[in-house]
Amino acid sequence: MPRILLLSIKTIIGNLENLFAMVKGSPPALAMIMSDRNNPTTQTFSLKDVIGDGFLWAVPKHRRSVEKRLNRKFGFPEYVWKPLKEKRNLRSCLKCGHEHELGVLCSFCYDIVRKETHQMQEKIQESLGVAPIDQEVVVLYDGENDLSPEALKGSRVVEIQKPRPMWFTKNLLQKSTQQSADTKEVKPSDLG
Amino acid sequence: MHKVIRQMTQLSLQTPLLATTTSITSSGSVAKLLAVVPTTTITQTGDCCGVHTSAASGGGSGGLCAKWNKHNYGPRRWLEYNKTVHPPQETEEEPRKAYVCHMRSNIKYSPDKMWYIAAFVRGMSVDEALKQLNFVLKKGATDVKETILEAQQMAVERHNVEYRSNLWIAESFVGKGRVFKGLRRHARGRFGRVEYKHCHYFLRLEEGEPPQHYYAPEPQTPQQQYEHWLQQMRSRKVINSL
Repeated sequence: MPRILLLSIKTIIGNLENLFAMVKGSPPALAMIMSDRNNPTTQTFSLKDVIGDGFLWAVPKHRRSVEKRLNRKFGFPEYVWKPLKEKRNLRSCLKCGHEHELGVLCSFCYDIVRKETHQMQEKIQESLGVAPIDQEVVVLYDGENDLSPEALKGSRVVEIQKPRPMWFTKNLLQKSTQQSADTKEVKPSDLG
Repeated sequence: MHKVIRQMTQLSLQTPLLATTTSITSSGSVAKLLAVVPTTTITQTGDCCGVHTSAASGGGSGGLCAKWNKHNYGPRRWLEYNKTVHPPQETEEEPRKAYVCHMRSNIKYSPDKMWYIAAFVRGMSVDEALKQLNFVLKKGATDVKETILEAQQMAVERHNVEYRSNLWIAESFVGKGRVFKGLRRHARGRFGRVEYKHCHYFLRLEEGEPPQHYYAPEPQTPQQQYEHWLQQMRSRKVINSL
């Protein structure tokens, strides 16, 4: 601790000396302000320069009482309780048996889905690159040649050499939002 | 000074000690159980070692560079409790509850912050503690969870515990570990001190059901309070009376 104090004092003294020194070029910007305030001729520095600079401001003035320390450690029961509270809303997932919070997806099950999605995305990027997607992208797993070429007409096909996971059913890809219109003709009454 | 700060950044993370447990035979020694798989991540300039070796045998060391800390064994007295040989008991006596003391030393985490997790887990059954620790969003929770799992395994294999669920956390506390000091710059030529704190985590599992109240004295029911008051009132005496 005293070593740092000494270091800081030395650096401050050094800086102050630099401010008042005559430099070839323009002196630093701060020096202009300082020299305007003080007398440029005086080489002495008072204790005010050391303390007024904010050096001794952030220092504890009194010892923290045990009550204050305990308040910081524990907080206040109804407002901010710092110790950890037991969670009562944990249930075991019916599928895998891992615990999850009530109202939140089971992390284990979701991880499986996330990994599969990541694989699909990698495959898509590999085959289609970063080109803008103007057509629908259809991902086909191993042995899925049932779809007729008409159905795959307006879409880009990406094939993954992997059997389809058991939980990835076809109806998961159905769009829940409104279907896009077949015709381009719109009646005036249908417009907004 | 700069060298210290640069080398601090090359400290490698501890790999989970449980990774090697599948290959353990019944006659496996303690050192073998806790031998750490060498890390492959941080070996950039080669200034500091990249491979972790478990210098301390039972406790398992945390994120400390082995090259600079060969002399630092960490606390050893806690694990001596495992080696105590109790005298044989009488037949009428209740069988002594099995216990196991375990610890992890020099975890790269502040002891004050680790205290919250240690206090949280105190007095819980092992299953409940592991379940709850999955949802504690703190860095020390992973270390505590691993320590509990290790201790559970040790209890079943070497401390004559029949069911691994029949354990509860009798003691759980934190100690201060190594503290490395560094500097950081501030404005106006000032310097601030930075402390890289480590902590030790100590654990004792005991066999049986956890108690209803861990801390004594237990909170008393109104009936108990009334009886206590009644007893106090009745035991009063007027001094020097008949």
